[in-house]
Amino acid sequence: MGKVDLNFKPAVPVFDANAELGRRHDRRNLMDTPEQLFAEMARAGVDRALVWHPNGAAYDSMEGNLILQELIHGDSRLVPQFFCNPSFDDFDVFTRSVKDAAVRSIRMVPQYQHYPFREWIVGPWLDWMEREGLALWLPATYTVFGDTTELDATDVYDTVREHPHLNVVLSEIHYSNISWAVPLLKSLPNVHVETSKLTIADPINRFLEFMDDSRILFGSRYPNSTMGIHIYALHHMGLPESTVRAICAGNLERLLGMG
Amino acid sequence: MQDFPVVDFHAHLGNWGRFGMLDTPELFLSCMDNAGIDVACLNCIFHGDSNRGNDRVAEYVRKWPKRFVGAAFISANYPEEMVPELERCFGSLGMKFIKIYPHYVRVAHDDPLYFPIYEFANERGLAIMSHARHYFDPPSVSVYKRYEGLVKRFPKINWVMAHAGGGTSAETARTVRDFPTIYVETCSSGLRYGGIEYAVKKGRADRVLFGTDMPLLDASQQLAKVIVCRITDEEKKMVLGGNAIRLLNLKL
Repeated sequence: MGKVDLNFKPAVPVFDANAELGRRHDRRNLMDTPEQLFAEMARAGVDRALVWHPNGAAYDSMEGNLILQELIHGDSRLVPQFFCNPSFDDFDVFTRSVKDAAVRSIRMVPQYQHYPFREWIVGPWLDWMEREGLALWLPATYTVFGDTTELDATDVYDTVREHPHLNVVLSEIHYSNISWAVPLLKSLPNVHVETSKLTIADPINRFLEFMDDSRILFGSRYPNSTMGIHIYALHHMGLPESTVRAICAGNLERLLGMG
Repeated sequence: MQDFPVVDFHAHLGNWGRFGMLDTPELFLSCMDNAGIDVACLNCIFHGDSNRGNDRVAEYVRKWPKRFVGAAFISANYPEEMVPELERCFGSLGMKFIKIYPHYVRVAHDDPLYFPIYEFANERGLAIMSHARHYFDPPSVSVYKRYEGLVKRFPKINWVMAHAGGGTSAETARTVRDFPTIYVETCSSGLRYGGIEYAVKKGRADRVLFGTDMPLLDASQQLAKVIVCRITDEEKKMVLGGNAIRLLNLKL
């Protein structure tokens, strides 16, 4: 008979690389408060979460980032990730806000915010991030009001290869993005992948055939998805404990300079 | 670790390059072993000539009879082949239930086009798995009314709504509650929060079937949806295997 662990708890520290916190304008999330997030983290065995606020994508990154900090309220279990709109934000004001808040990663949604992810727009911002050792999260898709915009893979390839010292995390890679995501990951060693929508069969072992485990990060896509799903799966894919440990927390800690 | 039978009701054979779907026996078996799945119900929907895919499924079942169960895929693009292929699948190939995929014909599964399949299944009390709703359905379509009509006309068929156990549709739950021959299956790439709980608590625990969509989707992740959700251990055992064993009369 199949052996299934109904009383599962993670055997390693867990740091979620993709959690949304706060209210959206386009729909009501099932859970949108810090208390609900903490309850879910406790249930799933998640120690810390990298969190972002949806207002930063939909309206104004500065305002969204501010609301995010209010919600976090200094709790060390939640690590802020700031949205940036390089076609709109004031460079000096934004970079100062990042420094003041000791933020270590930035999230961009170029297609949703209607700018091409090209060097002539994002180049100076990526130069700054490289200099400061900040990591960049790029969700493969972003959905508002049920409409989904998709990252332009050619733009990502052309631009990121100009910034070999920038750590980039492809977030929310779905099976419909695999056709470009795998060649991209093979081509650019500074690109990482986050697991929240990586649902193809045996995804980690298949990715480990062409890249090492330091480039894979556990992410849940909370509150759209349950945190525990990927954590359970990562413990039941026949992976070495060192790999589970790296994916569940170690790699994210390193990218954020917390390791 | 707990030891109880786990049956995956929804798995596919075939490579599907545009989605990175890789199909090898090694991948299948290692995913099943890692997840703790005893048996996977296989279908192959990737051929216009259904017999080609069904032969592949039968080959897997012959090679690994304790690990795989066959589901007959019947293409409605070739109505003249439907019943002969059904007779072959439930005769020499020993299939256990039927899979249809209305997306290929853009005709919903309550259309008379499918009735020869249903008459065959109704005579034998077989289960049929299909998506409950289709991309070509007009918004006004009611899943409840769709199944109400089918259940009335074909009362001995057990209807399995593919993917419907992973969402939070009130109409789906009501359909399951009102008609005792309706089941929902759980796989989805969305890994939606609360989907399994909803199917069990608003629908019926004894008619939720665990499925993976393997190898398009990962077995451990799909299984984890059931493991980490807020239902009782007994309900988890029913969803993960007990219900499928009862429905298909499997001897594990």
